[in-house]
Amino acid sequence: MAKKTFWLFMLFTVLFIMGVNTGELNYLLNMGSTICLACIGVGG
Amino acid sequence: MNRLRWLIQTLVAFGTNAYLLFPFGGSVIYQGPLKAVCHPGLNCYSCPGALLSCPVGAFQNFMGSLRYSVGGIPMSGAVVLGYVGFIGATVGRLTCGWMCPFGFIQDLIHKIPTRKFSLWKPLRWVKYAVLAVLVVAMPIFFVDSSGLGHPWFCKLVCPAGTLEGAIPLLFLKPSLWGTVSFFFWNKLTILILILVAATLISRFFCRVLCPLGAFYSLFSRITLVQLEFVEGNCVECGACVRKCPTGVIPNLELDSRECIMCLRCVDACHFNALDFGMRRPPRKPAEAKRVTSPL
Repeated sequence: MAKKTFWLFMLFTVLFIMGVNTGELNYLLNMGSTICLACIGVGG
Repeated sequence: MNRLRWLIQTLVAFGTNAYLLFPFGGSVIYQGPLKAVCHPGLNCYSCPGALLSCPVGAFQNFMGSLRYSVGGIPMSGAVVLGYVGFIGATVGRLTCGWMCPFGFIQDLIHKIPTRKFSLWKPLRWVKYAVLAVLVVAMPIFFVDSSGLGHPWFCKLVCPAGTLEGAIPLLFLKPSLWGTVSFFFWNKLTILILILVAATLISRFFCRVLCPLGAFYSLFSRITLVQLEFVEGNCVECGACVRKCPTGVIPNLELDSRECIMCLRCVDACHFNALDFGMRRPPRKPAEAKRVTSPL
């Protein structure tokens, strides 16, 4: 594995863990559990 | 190999959109714990069948709510960036070729027998502008009176959202027709144009507009897996070029950002000049010549 790839893996793993620890998974879960009017292009 | 790819594309498309309770009085969209996981490809999470979240939609929502924080720490979308970044560094755009439901739809629609055209190459840069402007910058800077940004790519462009989310939802929940505005008709027009373009030009959306493909393509030269070109075996017959759905010339543009690693070129080559496997250190020039894409 190239050094660059290894360090990117480390960076993204740290980012993921950081996100999990700041409660982003719950936010993601709440977001995905409601119909996103903007995503489907309805509403203002 | 192509049959295996079709099988995997079918399994991923149906497997990740397998929520089947919506026609039987269940919730109109899936609301279980899997929604905390992002799909590796572009798949609207407002699709009635979707089990997973869309990474592009989720990231825009995080960017839009950057001004809000939990316990003093801003919601920066690190979990989505870490997730898609890890996939990008591992397999890059192989995800586009094998796992993206909207890519699969384009592959199917391109089979309609019509005259086919090639893409004007400068258009390939548009997807990077879409990523930077609609996915990152606009959700951060174009905020409403409450300080909340909007997922502008989803709102203005995303054809997957219209096809998989809006149209089925409007049929399942007729009350939503009352909220239909300019955005829906705009996106419906864009969807129709993209589907027509994808019939004439292979993988039109992936090559021109997809921000997720643009993000994955940033890793094309360092992914763990790669296409390998054995120059000594190549007779320059052009079979690989004719088969490539994204217009890459495999023997000249190895590690191209446009390559979705569908491996149709490997199947097409009868001289074993192309192979697929784990990335190895570049060989010496005498053993193999590796030319990287200018894109």
